[in-house]
Parts: sequence; structure tokens; C-alpha cells
Amino acid sequence: MRSSSSFRPVAEGSRVAPDGAGKGVVDRPIDLVGLLAVGHHPAAGAVVLFSGEVRESNLGRAVAYLQYEAHVPLAEKMIAEILSEAKAKWRLSVAIAQHRIGRVEIGETAVVVITASPHRNEAYNANRHIIDRIKQEAPIWKCEYYEDGMKEWG
Amino acid sequence: MTIHVYAGLKDYFLPEFELTEEVGNIDQLRACLLAINEQAAKLLAACRFAVADGFVDSTYKFKAHEIVIVVPPSSGG
Repeated sequence: MRSSSSFRPVAEGSRVAPDGAGKGVVDRPIDLVGLLAVGHHPAAGAVVLFSGEVRESNLGRAVAYLQYEAHVPLAEKMIAEILSEAKAKWRLSVAIAQHRIGRVEIGETAVVVITASPHRNEAYNANRHIIDRIKQEAPIWKCEYYEDGMKEWG
Repeated sequence: MTIHVYAGLKDYFLPEFELTEEVGNIDQLRACLLAINEQAAKLLAACRFAVADGFVDSTYKFKAHEIVIVVPPSSGG
């Protein structure tokens, strides 16, 4: 029996959810491939994956790495609420979001949002909405560490 | 009352500390925090407050021995 639409990825058939897939906040590298594997859904003709990644520079300054921290229980709760609301608004088949905390190196994924829906407009629009709200509302913060030894909270 | 602060607020306060003063609401808590470090004024003005993993607004009345989370503007992503 297939699972119904979900905002918490679960193992389904041969698609096995990666460790921590149901969590909105993780303290280890995000498994993009593993999450995408559980982002598919038989009702969805479109799957959109957004990966927010660490740039090597910001406003002309060379970035060494980013350090993220969060109030994890509150962030988890808010991300779940954001996903649930988006899923209802756009009638998504799948909505997944995961944010990493701790040290994140250049080129690594800091946050991922995956949306799946019958048609692409809903998946694109919902994905943008979800990442915007996570960035603006979830109690997650980044500190930029620069190559010159300085640091700055975002 | 126990206060937890995050991110840039840690440049002005310890990550966790106790307030012995009687604080009834958010306005009083802001004033109390400013009295500890007035340099945090700009950041404190932009902060939200949470208790028991839920945000509270200016009408909320703090309970004795409550744990209060001072939440700076988000900067995830």
C-alpha cells in the first residue's frame, strides 16, 4: 500500500528514507540524493528541489565557512507548520525541508526544500514560499566566518 | 526566570543566565536586559520571545521560574 501525501518523508517501497529524513534540523551533512529519493510520489508530475549552499564570498569578502545554530525544538515545530500549511495551500503530494546546523563548508548544502505536486507551477511556487518563510521565520541563525579571521552574525 | 539567548545576542549576554528581578512581561524583560547591556538595544528591539517552545506576544504574562528564549531575527538559509 502506498503512503498518502506527506510532509514527513518515510520509507516507501524500495525508496528508503535516509537517516534523519523526518527531521527539519540536522547536525550533519544533508543527504540530497536520499531526500530526493523519497520526494517522488505517484500523484506528482513535478518535483522541485532547492538546495541552499554556502558561497565562497559575501559582499566581496572571502568566506571561510558558515556556522549555523538553531533553537531546535522551536525550529522543528515551525518548519513542520510551514510545510503543513504549504502542503494544504498548494495541494502538494510531498513537502520536505531540512536545515543543517553546525559548521557548513563552502559548497555544502545548508538547507534543502523538496516539493512535489501534480503540475509544476504548484511545486515551484510552494518551494519558493517554503524557503522564504524558513529563512524569515524559523529560529535558525548563521554566523559567517571570513578568510581574514573576522566573523559576523547574519 | 532563566534567559536563553542565541546568535548575535551572545556577543552581549551569556548564552544562559538567571534573572532575579521580578519581570512581568516582555516590555519589562527588554528593559531588564537593556539594563544589563545597553549596547544590545538595537538587536533587542528586533527580537521575538518564546516560552515552552512557542512564541509569545507583548500581552503575555511571565510565570515565576519560566524559561524565556530571546530570539533574534532569523538568518537561516
